[in-house]
Amino acid sequence: MDFVSRLQNVDRRIIYILLILVTAVPMISPLNLPLSISPGTTEFFNIVDALEPGDTVLFSLDYAPSGAPDVHPIAAAVMEHLMDKGVNVVSVSFWDAGPMFGEQLMRHYEELGYEYGVHFANLGFVPGQETAIKRFGENVGTVSRDFRGNPVSSLPIMEGIKDTRDFALVIDFVAGNPGIQEWVRQVQGSLGITLLAGSSTVNVPQTMPFVDSGQVKAMLAGLRGAAEYELVMGKPGASVAKMDAQSLGHIVIILFIVVGNIAFFLDKKR
Amino acid sequence: MRREVPLIITFVVGVIVLFANMFEGPLQAWSSELTGWLIIVSAFAVGLASVNLFRIHGTALMRMRPGWFNSLALIVALIVFAVIGTMARLGGDEKINNLNQNLYDSIIGPLGAAMFAMLAFYVASAAYRAFRMRSAEATVMLIAAILTMIGKAPIGELIWNKFPVIAEWLIDIPNTAGQRAIMIGAAIGAFATSLRILLGLERGHLGGAE
Repeated sequence: MDFVSRLQNVDRRIIYILLILVTAVPMISPLNLPLSISPGTTEFFNIVDALEPGDTVLFSLDYAPSGAPDVHPIAAAVMEHLMDKGVNVVSVSFWDAGPMFGEQLMRHYEELGYEYGVHFANLGFVPGQETAIKRFGENVGTVSRDFRGNPVSSLPIMEGIKDTRDFALVIDFVAGNPGIQEWVRQVQGSLGITLLAGSSTVNVPQTMPFVDSGQVKAMLAGLRGAAEYELVMGKPGASVAKMDAQSLGHIVIILFIVVGNIAFFLDKKR
Repeated sequence: MRREVPLIITFVVGVIVLFANMFEGPLQAWSSELTGWLIIVSAFAVGLASVNLFRIHGTALMRMRPGWFNSLALIVALIVFAVIGTMARLGGDEKINNLNQNLYDSIIGPLGAAMFAMLAFYVASAAYRAFRMRSAEATVMLIAAILTMIGKAPIGELIWNKFPVIAEWLIDIPNTAGQRAIMIGAAIGAFATSLRILLGLERGHLGGAE
């Protein structure tokens, strides 16, 4: 096999090793690449920052472990901002894995002295996908017990909350369906709630039309969205460090695509 | 009657929910009640799926079919997670709640994340092999993909500060236009299919032959 053919057929193990190296090294030794803040992130931050202490926000945690590395950092960054501001958080999920992420978020703050049922609550998983979103949107009382088995009516945080209009904001952290489309279709349109999205990167193209139309007021997109949010908050954390790894990973993939195409053209010329 | 009754139920429920979205009145209360029923039916479907998994993998295990150890792992995991999860939900003590959370954080979470992470390697290898400028369409797709990738990575800004602007434009304008067209097309298709189901012309959901 000559050089050009080899360039067209690089062993996949070489690609894997290079990708491991360029993503692992920045995690150990961050490069601190500069990260600009997109207008969408600033808008998201401003909407959240305008909330008053004592307001309650609904998190719809619609992702699974597969999408969590991209979405959970967004939820964690927004939760940090809300807790700092004294805003309460209620979580619900239309994906069966979602409630466990709610627990991950809340247990951290419980260790810091925040109180479950007062500052936050996890309403767990509601089966039924799009129909469940509609039902819950119109009647939060659909959930009678929270994820920890407490009657929802006994939680101080739920006082005065009947439907999703009683939340200051609804934020859908989403990695697919059911998710933002269903929230827009079944709840935002009919009840006029203020809806924000924290979307996985691959889900961004599907969410963009709703951001463009104003049905979703602002969106944080994937790990980069989380990293930007951490920077806007003035609390750079794990997401910022992970962006270095993502940057170099992208560069390796692009380089291989370019090399593959150069070899392809050289081969065609012969 | 086995076909007529489900068709009548589908028609009546569909009409109530459809018109409840269009007109004010008692239909909205009925629609809300019906959507509540669907949540209960969905919960039963989860239980039914678990029973089905037990039946299929239990049989595979008892007959020692090829891959029986995978069936064993599935059944053990199903029992362990179901028992501990149920105990935690029924107001188990702190130890049970912690065990439930730890099982998730230490097993399902890392396994799911690992599966997702492995995709990156396959995508890298597949992109290298498949993204070739074989035609004008492929070239457009390739250039758009590279510009978006590089524009969304912080290193792209270091190379040229216009990369993020181009990436934003690609996502905001051509992507949004394309997605909107797909969504409108899909919505019209969904409406037509729903109408066929309501009128009993589409009977695939009843199972069996048409």
